[in-house]
Amino acid sequence: MEAQKVLSLKALTMNFGVKQVLKGIDLDVYSGQIIGYIGPNGAGKSTTLKIMLGLLDGYRGTVEIFGQDIAKSGHDYKRRIGYVPENADIYDNLTATEFMVFSGELYGLAPQVAERKARELLNQFDMLSVSDARLSSFSKGMRQKVLIITSLIHDPDVIFLDEPLNGLDANSVMIIKDVLEQLAQRGKTIFYSSHIMDVVEKISNRIVLLVDGKIAADGTFEELREESKLGSLEAVFNEITGFNEHQETARRFVDIIMDGETYERV
Amino acid sequence: MKEFRSLKLLDLVRGLIGRMGINYETMRKILQVKLTMDQRRVPTMFQANMTEDKQDDYQFLKSLGIYVLYGLILIPFLFMGDYFIQMSIFFGVTMFILMTTLVSDFSAVLLDVRDKTLLNTKPVNERTVNAAKIVHIIIYITQLTGAFLLIPSIVAIFSKGIFFMIVLFFVMTLLILLIVALTALIYIYILKFFSSEKLRDIINYVQIFMSIGIVVGYQIVIRVFEFTDFDVIYTFEWWHIFIPPVWFGGLFDLVLQNNQSGVAVPMSLLAVVVPLLAIALYYRLMPTFERNLQKLMEETGPNKKSRWDFTAFWAKLFCRSREEQLFFRFSSIMMKRERDFKLRVYPSLGLALVFPFIFHLNYISMESFASLRDSNMHLTIYFTAITIGPVVLMLRYSPNYKGSWMFLVSPLQQRSRIYSATLKAFLFQLFVPLYAVLCAVFVFIFSARIIPDLIVVFMAIVLLTLISYKLTNNDELPFSRPFESAKEAGSTVTLFLLMLITGAFALFHWLVSMLPYGVYGYMGVLSVITIVSWYVAFRPKKPLIEL
Repeated sequence: MEAQKVLSLKALTMNFGVKQVLKGIDLDVYSGQIIGYIGPNGAGKSTTLKIMLGLLDGYRGTVEIFGQDIAKSGHDYKRRIGYVPENADIYDNLTATEFMVFSGELYGLAPQVAERKARELLNQFDMLSVSDARLSSFSKGMRQKVLIITSLIHDPDVIFLDEPLNGLDANSVMIIKDVLEQLAQRGKTIFYSSHIMDVVEKISNRIVLLVDGKIAADGTFEELREESKLGSLEAVFNEITGFNEHQETARRFVDIIMDGETYERV
Repeated sequence: MKEFRSLKLLDLVRGLIGRMGINYETMRKILQVKLTMDQRRVPTMFQANMTEDKQDDYQFLKSLGIYVLYGLILIPFLFMGDYFIQMSIFFGVTMFILMTTLVSDFSAVLLDVRDKTLLNTKPVNERTVNAAKIVHIIIYITQLTGAFLLIPSIVAIFSKGIFFMIVLFFVMTLLILLIVALTALIYIYILKFFSSEKLRDIINYVQIFMSIGIVVGYQIVIRVFEFTDFDVIYTFEWWHIFIPPVWFGGLFDLVLQNNQSGVAVPMSLLAVVVPLLAIALYYRLMPTFERNLQKLMEETGPNKKSRWDFTAFWAKLFCRSREEQLFFRFSSIMMKRERDFKLRVYPSLGLALVFPFIFHLNYISMESFASLRDSNMHLTIYFTAITIGPVVLMLRYSPNYKGSWMFLVSPLQQRSRIYSATLKAFLFQLFVPLYAVLCAVFVFIFSARIIPDLIVVFMAIVLLTLISYKLTNNDELPFSRPFESAKEAGSTVTLFLLMLITGAFALFHWLVSMLPYGVYGYMGVLSVITIVSWYVAFRPKKPLIEL
C-alpha cells in the first residue's frame, strides 16, 4: 500500500493572549504511521491536537487533513477521525453501550450497527457483563477501555490518542498496543501523545518531540538514538529538553523530607 | 480552621469518650475538619435557589434559620387534645422532618467512603473513625433539632411550665438517638440487598420527595386544623405500638398527667428502651455496616438492559432528522437519570402538579364543589406552566458538562437543531405525562367542556418552552455547563419575566374565552404561531466554524 499524506501542518502558530504556545510547526504525516508525539508539560502538544480536532480556533498557518484545509472544508473531515481525550470526562449516567452507540451515531453509524459493534468490542475486553451498567460505576481502567472503543467504533482513518493507556492493566496495554500496530499496518494513521517514554519508544514508528512550541526532533527512535548516542528515549528526551539536574532536584527533595524533628507520634 | 463551639462542649465529656477506647484528640481533629467542610456545603433545600453571593460560612446558619421557621408548624399541636395526642403528632412531625433531613443531607456523611482511603490508611484506630462519624451526625442533628424546637419550646415554657420542658429535653435526646440509629439500620438493610447505584437512586428520590413533602405537607396540616375538633381524646388501637411517635406521646401522658392506667406505661417503656437498644444494635453492627459500605466503592456486577421503552418511537415521531432523533434520545436519558438534574427539576414538577389543586381547595372552602365545576378555575392549570422557565434553564447544565467535548469533535451537521431535540424531549418525555394526568383530573372535575381550553393551554406551554429557551439559554449545546454557574447574573430577572409572560397568557386566554367561539379561534392562531416560531427559531444555520 502506498503511503498517502493524510495530515499536513504548515507554519502553525497559536497565541493565547500574548503567550505564543505554538511557534511554527511544520509536519507531514502519512498513512500507516504511528506518531509518538512527546514533549514536556506545556510544550503545546494538547494545543496541536485540539487544533487538528477543530476544538480550537484562531491559529495561524494551515492545517490540512485528508488534503483539505480544515478551516475551509467544514466539519465533515471529523467523520474519519477518532479521539481519546486525556481526561475521561464523559456523561457517566449513560451505560457503556448507550455511550458508545450515542458516539457512533454522532459519527453517522446506524444505531443497530453501533450497538452490535460496541457489544462485540466490549466482549473482547471481557466487559460484556457490564455493557448495560452505568459508566459512573466503572473503574478508571474500564472507563478508559470504553473511551478507546468509542474512539474506534466508527472505523476512523486518523486516530488521536492522548495518554490512552492511563489506568489500564498490563494485559489490556498489550492488546491496545497490538491493535494500534495492526491498525497502522492496514493504513490507519495514529497520533499518539504520551509522557510514558517506554511505551512511546516501543509503539511508535516515528517520534516527534515538541519543545516550547517547536519541533525539536523528528524521526524514528533509531535515528534519534543514533544522533544523541543515548540508550533510551527517556535519556534522549532529557537531553533534548535540556534537563539534566534530576538527581540534584531529587537530593534536595529527600533532604527536605528527612529534615527537622520527627513529630510526636500519636 | 476555626474552633467550633460544639467541639468545646464535647470537650466536657472527653474523659468518658477516652475510656471507650477512642482516641479523643484524633477524633476531635477529624471532627474539626468535617465540620469545616460542612460549612462549605450547601444543603439540598437551598440548591434550587442558591443566592449569587456564596458566603460560605453562613450557609448552614441560614438553613438553621429555615428550621426555626418550620418549628412554627408544631405550635398548634401543643394545644390540641390531651398530651397523648399532642405529643404523638408533635413527635411525628419532628421525626419526619429530622429523618428526611438526615437522609437527604447527611447520607453523604453516613455513606462517606472517601474517608476510608483517607483515614484508614493513617495510623488511626477504626473505632475512633467510627466514633467521629456518629458524633458528627449527632452534632448536626442536635443543632437542627434545637433550631426546629426553638419556638415551640418558648411557647411550651410559658404555657406548660418548666417541668414539661425538662421532659421534652429528655425525650428529644431519646428521639435523636432513635432517628440516627434507625436511619443507619435502614441503610444497613438497603446496602445488604441493593447495589450502590440503587441506593443512590433511593436517596435521590427521598430528597425529591422531601422537597415536595414539605410544601404539600404544610398545606395539608393547615387544612387539617380547619376541620379538626380540638377536643379529641386518645383511644388506643393495637397497631399504635408500631408508631414510635406514639410511644413518646405515652411517656408524656405518664409523666405529666400521671396517667398510669392503660397503655401509657408500656408505651413509655418502649420509648425509653427501643432507642437505647437501637443505638446499641447500631454500635454492634457498625463493622458490618462499614464492610457493606465497601459496596459503594465497588464496581457493579452484571446488569440487565432495561426493558424496551418508547423513547426511540417518540424520537421518530417528533423529530425529522437523524441527528435530532439522536439528541432526543440522549436528552431523555439525561433527564431521567442525572440525579442532580432530577433533584433540581422534579420537585418543581411535582409542585406544578399540586399547585392548581391548592387553589381549588381554597375555592371549595369558600364556595362549594358545585360552583367550582362551573367556574373558570380550570385556568389555574397555568400555574403548572410556571415551572417551564426554570426547568428549561436547567437543561443546559450537567455535572458531567465536560463530557460535551464529544459533540465538538464529532461531525454534527446542524448544531442549532440539538436544542430543538432537547426541548422536545423535555416536553414529551417529562412534561406531557404530567400534563396528561393533570388533564384527566381536570376533565373529571370540570367536565369535558374544558377540553378545548386544555388544548390551548398545551399550545401555550409549547410556545412558552420556546420563549423560555430563547430568553434563558440560547446556547448551542445542552448539558454543557457546570451547575455551579446556574445562578448567573440576570437569570432571576428573566425567570420573573417568564412568570409574567405566563400570567399574560392566562389573562389573554380568559379574555378570549369570553367571546363566542373565541377559544377555537385562539387555538388556531396559537397553533400557527407556535409551529412557525419553532421552525424559525431552529432553522438551519450555516455550519459554524468559529467557536
